[in-house]
Amino acid sequence: MNDQTASDATPIVETSLVYAHGLAAIITLLISVGFGLLASIEMLVPDFAGNTPWLTWGRLRYDHTQGIMFGWLGNAFFAFLYHGVPVLTGKRITSPRLGQWIFGLWNFAVVAPGWILVLAGFSQPLEWAEFPLVIDSFVVLALALALVQFLPPFFSRGLEDLYVSSWYIIGGLIFTLLAYPMGNFVPELVPGARGAAFSGLWIHDAIGLFVTPLALAVIYFVIPAATRRPIYSHFLSMLGFWLLFFLYPLNGTHHYVYSVIPMSAQIGAITASTLLGVDVIIVVANLLLSLRGAGLIPRDPALRFVATGTVFYLIVSIQGSVQAQMAVNRAVHFSDFVVGHSHLAMLGFATFAAAGGIIHVWQRIPWARYNPVVLEWSYWLLTAGVVIMVSDLTIAGLVEARLWQSSAPWMESVRAARPYWLIRTLTFVPIAAGFLLLLAGLVTGDRGAGLRRVQEEIGLDPVQEIAPRLATEVV
Amino acid sequence: MSRLLRMSYLVAALAGVGFFVMSILLLGVWPGHTLEQEVRRMSPEHPMALTASESRGRRIYAREGCAYCHTQQIRYVASDVARFGRATLAWETIFDYPQLWGTRRIGPDLSREASVRSADWQLSHLYAPRSLVADSVMPPFPWLFEGSPDRPTQEARDLLDYLETLGRDRALAAPEGEAHARAACNDCSDDQKRFAFAPAVLNANPARARRRGESARLVRSNDLARGQQVYGLYCATCHGARGDGDTPGAAGLHPRPVNLTEQEYTLDRLGFSLWNGVAGTAMPAWRELGVDDLSAVARVVQNFHAAQSEPAIPAPVLALGERVYAARCAQCHGEKGDGNGSAADQFPVAATNFQAERPSIAASLRAVRNGIEGTPMAPWANELSEAELSSVAYYVRGFWAGGSN
Repeated sequence: MNDQTASDATPIVETSLVYAHGLAAIITLLISVGFGLLASIEMLVPDFAGNTPWLTWGRLRYDHTQGIMFGWLGNAFFAFLYHGVPVLTGKRITSPRLGQWIFGLWNFAVVAPGWILVLAGFSQPLEWAEFPLVIDSFVVLALALALVQFLPPFFSRGLEDLYVSSWYIIGGLIFTLLAYPMGNFVPELVPGARGAAFSGLWIHDAIGLFVTPLALAVIYFVIPAATRRPIYSHFLSMLGFWLLFFLYPLNGTHHYVYSVIPMSAQIGAITASTLLGVDVIIVVANLLLSLRGAGLIPRDPALRFVATGTVFYLIVSIQGSVQAQMAVNRAVHFSDFVVGHSHLAMLGFATFAAAGGIIHVWQRIPWARYNPVVLEWSYWLLTAGVVIMVSDLTIAGLVEARLWQSSAPWMESVRAARPYWLIRTLTFVPIAAGFLLLLAGLVTGDRGAGLRRVQEEIGLDPVQEIAPRLATEVV
Repeated sequence: MSRLLRMSYLVAALAGVGFFVMSILLLGVWPGHTLEQEVRRMSPEHPMALTASESRGRRIYAREGCAYCHTQQIRYVASDVARFGRATLAWETIFDYPQLWGTRRIGPDLSREASVRSADWQLSHLYAPRSLVADSVMPPFPWLFEGSPDRPTQEARDLLDYLETLGRDRALAAPEGEAHARAACNDCSDDQKRFAFAPAVLNANPARARRRGESARLVRSNDLARGQQVYGLYCATCHGARGDGDTPGAAGLHPRPVNLTEQEYTLDRLGFSLWNGVAGTAMPAWRELGVDDLSAVARVVQNFHAAQSEPAIPAPVLALGERVYAARCAQCHGEKGDGNGSAADQFPVAATNFQAERPSIAASLRAVRNGIEGTPMAPWANELSEAELSSVAYYVRGFWAGGSN
């Protein structure tokens, strides 16, 4: 029975690559969270590292964010793509063998050596680009191979009737490859303020052209597949997509408001940031309307993660638009408010989307274990952790901003922030527990339990029914 | 129809790439071009690039993630300028490969750090930050030293050299370079001009020590509790909880922080040192604390000195002291002991003004005998006889104009 289901359900999906990237994602996630935990502890116990250079705060901080971006989100998106691209196109990916190469490159030529080199003192001090240049060249290679792997199915199928997830996948993969060298190589060649203009672009492109499009591809994919209803409006989907790709790259300079970078560029970026908030309202409205009937906390764990990620996306984007306004930016820039914002983006929006994507594709691997009760616990722990951490850091940022505006000595702002940093460190408990349970939910339980559940609850074959529906109901 | 569709996707793909290219042109290339022109117009003729050691130091700064807690960018806003000095100009950043502007400020901005802290302070602080700054959360970097802040490795020296370049070009450019840049700042708004060029804000950092300048008018404070609190937060790491200057942080500082139990100060003298710091030493200025807190701290400092009965000094001893003083000390400390001798300005640390500051007999003897390490005050033990040493040590105490406290 199981074997029969296997061949029916996933005739063209390379499930072993889905599985490998999924496991790698969660393992690198746990390691990255560990880096974050150590860095946060060192803000409370600054002598923690003692005389050990590789344990020092700066190096852990680099590895924390690079691990989240490459290890966790990169692998999670690959896991999704190995399922999503064949389902969306009805075609196989280019080559399973190439898949093994990409997996090896990504994890053993980028993530693992990147981490080690940073700890050993080889890095570049550019945000979201801390891995050293030698690693960057492997990233570019892997991204180029990913294009070879995932784009031909779209082209061989024909570009008519592309579902919005396909657009996001194509756009995300191509523009990440284009933007990556700009953020990682250009500031090494262009100094100071001019280099900062490019760094600002990349900081926003990393989230806007890599993380957001692929996370939205997951969300747009999982919602109709799990609710078995088409997306509310394909017109709004496409409107959102094009606005996003138009506006996101124009945001970069909002990281340097009130700097020496020409004011017209700053104002342009602030305007784009404001409009981006409007775009996200369109996107999220479409997604939430597509969820109608399923509720905001659906029963299916994959759908539940994705739905909550959508809500986080709305909040973080509106927060971003507000934060870019000069009057707000003047006060909160440089504070923990921004750290809260980036955690809401990466840990809230992107992580919930990626986790939902992994769970969704896991359910459709016929031989994979699956334990929905554990996943439910994972969801609640993570949600609680994110909400507490982001609220805590937001308040901390407001406190710091207020002290900086006053004439109080600088150290007052450090002392005032400490209780908030303690709470931030304590949120490690629900967050790490949530991630451990996410792993447990995918490696315990019965083999094939996910697929059985999908078939019982939805009553239809997941792939055969979904794929055409996604493909045909286009604008 | 299908051909039209195919064409529309081609158009869409081109539009997508177009958006991306446009973003780079609008927010990368074009501002870069404007900045380049601005640099060309506003830069002094020969800004100083980094030396080999300074470049190595910059790489250490980058490696340890310093830029992730300390920005190097003073924004054109009042609160930044008040704390850190004149706003950053484009030409100041032309040697920054890659830029280290930073987007988070856990510690203060370091754009003008060179003129804020002394070298011994920097090294001690890198070695053990909390030995100088209570409650700091900065990681220590003991592996850049061989066991003590006095024994920096080449890496620590490189890093120090780099820190001492921060703001250097801007300081060297003044005043002609500033005037030139201001005149060349064609499209600056009034606000930008104010934040970048107002004379009052150059190195406005409230911790930056200055040799001269106005001083806070402290008042005699009775708020001992507040004074002790502020002293504990900001002074005790160096001067010690009991004021004796015997702390781990003090060990790496040259000159050592003053043993406050051995000194009497007038209120004005304390007001000057607290407001302006002691230039040439690790003692920073504390302008950010405000007059009320500083008055309260001054009270605590004055209380460290236990009043003693002053021994009567025989007239011949004082006469000998007067002769020695005129021959050996007056050049720096001034004929009237006010620290304004004819040679005083040549030295990096100001000479003690004995009218406003009275060392204990023991401290006075020790200083004249051994000198004060880290200052121009030389040891006189080999030059003067024992009688001369002690007579001048007594004599200088006679300049005191502060009355008994």
